[in-house]
Amino acid sequence: MPESQYVREDAQSDTRMDAREEALVEKAAVRGEGVEPAGESRALWFCAYTPLEVLDAAGLDPRRVTGAVERLEEADVLLHPATCPFVRACLVEGMAERPRGPAFFVNSCDAMRRLHDAWRAEVCGAGGQDVEERPPVYITDMPRRPGPKAERRLAAEFLRLAEELERDGARKVTAGALREAAALRSEVARRFLQWGEGLAGSSRLLLAEAAQALPPSRFLQGPPKGLAEGRGVPLLLTGNLLNPHGLVRVIEEAGGWVRAADLCNGDRAFLDLGEVEGDTLEEAALSLARRYLNRRGCARMDDSRRRGFRLLEMARDCGARGVIFASLKFCDPYLYDWPWLEALLRSEGMPALRLESDFRDGHAGQLSTRIEAFLEMLREGDR
Amino acid sequence: MGWISALKDRFIDRLSPSTLRSPLLWSTAESLARSPLNRPAWRADGVALRYFLQQTRRAYRGDGPVVWASLLFPSELIHAAGAVPFYPEMAAAVISSLELAPRFLDAAAQAGFSPDTCSFHRTILGAWLEGFMPAPSCLAAADYLCDSAPLSFRFIAEREEVPLLLLEIPFRGGEPYLALLEAELEETARRLAGACGIDWVDYLRGLGEAVELSEAARRHLLEVEELRLRHPLLLDGRDALGHLSVLASAPGHPAGERFYRELAAELRERAEAAEGGSNGERVKKLLWMHLKPYYPHRLFEHLEEHGGRIVCEEYNRCFWGEMDPRRPFYSLARKLAAHFGVGDGRRRALALRELALRHRVDGAVHFNHWGCRQSAGGAALVRRALLREGIPVLLLEGDCIDSREYQEGQAATRLEAFLESL
Repeated sequence: MPESQYVREDAQSDTRMDAREEALVEKAAVRGEGVEPAGESRALWFCAYTPLEVLDAAGLDPRRVTGAVERLEEADVLLHPATCPFVRACLVEGMAERPRGPAFFVNSCDAMRRLHDAWRAEVCGAGGQDVEERPPVYITDMPRRPGPKAERRLAAEFLRLAEELERDGARKVTAGALREAAALRSEVARRFLQWGEGLAGSSRLLLAEAAQALPPSRFLQGPPKGLAEGRGVPLLLTGNLLNPHGLVRVIEEAGGWVRAADLCNGDRAFLDLGEVEGDTLEEAALSLARRYLNRRGCARMDDSRRRGFRLLEMARDCGARGVIFASLKFCDPYLYDWPWLEALLRSEGMPALRLESDFRDGHAGQLSTRIEAFLEMLREGDR
Repeated sequence: MGWISALKDRFIDRLSPSTLRSPLLWSTAESLARSPLNRPAWRADGVALRYFLQQTRRAYRGDGPVVWASLLFPSELIHAAGAVPFYPEMAAAVISSLELAPRFLDAAAQAGFSPDTCSFHRTILGAWLEGFMPAPSCLAAADYLCDSAPLSFRFIAEREEVPLLLLEIPFRGGEPYLALLEAELEETARRLAGACGIDWVDYLRGLGEAVELSEAARRHLLEVEELRLRHPLLLDGRDALGHLSVLASAPGHPAGERFYRELAAELRERAEAAEGGSNGERVKKLLWMHLKPYYPHRLFEHLEEHGGRIVCEEYNRCFWGEMDPRRPFYSLARKLAAHFGVGDGRRRALALRELALRHRVDGAVHFNHWGCRQSAGGAALVRRALLREGIPVLLLEGDCIDSREYQEGQAATRLEAFLESL
């Protein structure tokens, strides 16, 4: 794996943790137990459309919540069992850890809206704190249709969020700080793509998790250790969000190599990030809005044609011989996505397999026969 | 419903896409609706039936541009164009009531649509895939109450190669967001007028008239609500649950105004006739949340047998304020933004709490439609809000459309136990 200029020297590199350990330390830090000062600035986020650059520029320290996947049933208290399991896992984590930092939501889909509601009620509202003592909760709108109108609307949302943060005691967001934060996030993306080259799919997802859980400056110090190289039949994995320790491992064990992961906790957040420019805060916010609207979209966006063709291009670029579409249960945008996507892939001669994940993936081993059969078919296609 | 049985015997069992386009079907349906065979419980129901038959006939016969719309898309925008509104979610309910849903649900599953998605939308997709839906000039969806309509409509719009008019409603209310929504509505209206081939000046004239009619309907609806509040037993909620289709699709059309005018008048008449009678002291008054099963079932009979009576319903009420025909887009923006399902989930919980308290209900039933991330997804929060006020809540799992996912015995047992506990 290529070494980064930011990787510390030998003695220091021994102190590097693997991605999972990093995440655990981060979670402990949120509870005020870890090595990091558990400042009120530790900000929690959930959806890949969270404007991290605004949070960075406001001096916050954003960390993506990955959820307590082992105890999903505990979410039943406020979320119906037929709700996205990632969202349910996030609520469980919030209920267990009672984080003190602010939480940032995006009005991106039904599940995220429900998480926002449940978080307010159960994580922030529980415990009988006074309203003033409750950790603040923010939500931003996210247009579905890209275009100039959506860019203006999203920029206005970013500016409003910056104002709210400043009102609540965060640093004032300036054009310069926003540009700087965007450049740093672009560097994180560049490093993710560089370090992720050649990795096994599960390691690629762990690397992405580290990039989303750690402050950029820490991530850029070097890739977490313990990441494995990939081998096997090259594949493109697409869907919403997957457990790095679940289904993707089963694909690897069956002989598949996920060369690229078009997931919101995979490559998607790091691809096609436009430059953020602008001398005024308004210009920079507009430029940032373009970044979010023009990057690789989630299935909730109303631009399926562009998404489909970008996916095909991605599959060809990474040398994938097939596509595995794996989505979390109860995620409507992806459940409605499969029929047309399958038709598109078929029409372009790209074999595809659909799998489903409950995020915990305790049953994922049962899917190995289907995966093996798919891989066998791809191998035969090469003979 | 005798006329439905007659229609079913004659056409439904041999239904094909061409049957739905046959003039004979519609003339038979319309004459049956007018015949003594059809005796609606309320005169207003006759108005609604004639309106829906007329609009559906126009849609299938291609009598004017057809706009498919999701339930929260403002019908006034469609009536302004003189276009034919077609509400696929309501069509799915009709399909279910005719016991045809399994056929279309299976067709959707064959095409790859997951059984974990909403059965309203799977039925729509299945019916469309099998050629049973009218050809749209465009599809129009609001991004509330749920994600399903924009997603399933997008699938169909792309294959039909017609525009999808997606109305994006801001999460927040208040003036700056109303201005945004007003602009969004105007832009959507321009696209709708374009798709329907109507001149913008004519469209604006039509919109003024539509908003005026909508406002007149709203005033009658307020009277209906007042009368129901004073006389909770007059209009059975299980009948009123069907009025959602009128509330969604008829504002802006003369039939919408006529429906609520007739309903208010008949409620007044019946209230006067029943003066001094029971006012609901001995029944268990219930709030019904979300929708009902549309296929044949005995849930409401069980409810009645155990002394329950639905006196108010979540969706079936006036949630918006006065509308001004001189400011149609602003008025519609206010109407949409006022919907309790838009924005923070606490709005819905608070609105339902207020409704329950206003009607002094003894309990509330939330029908958890499988796959509904909006309603079932937020039911626990609603339950919590009502329990805080001492109002017991039953969360009843089921499916509004797919009878195969509904266990009558189980639902009845839970409902009976709940009613006995009140």
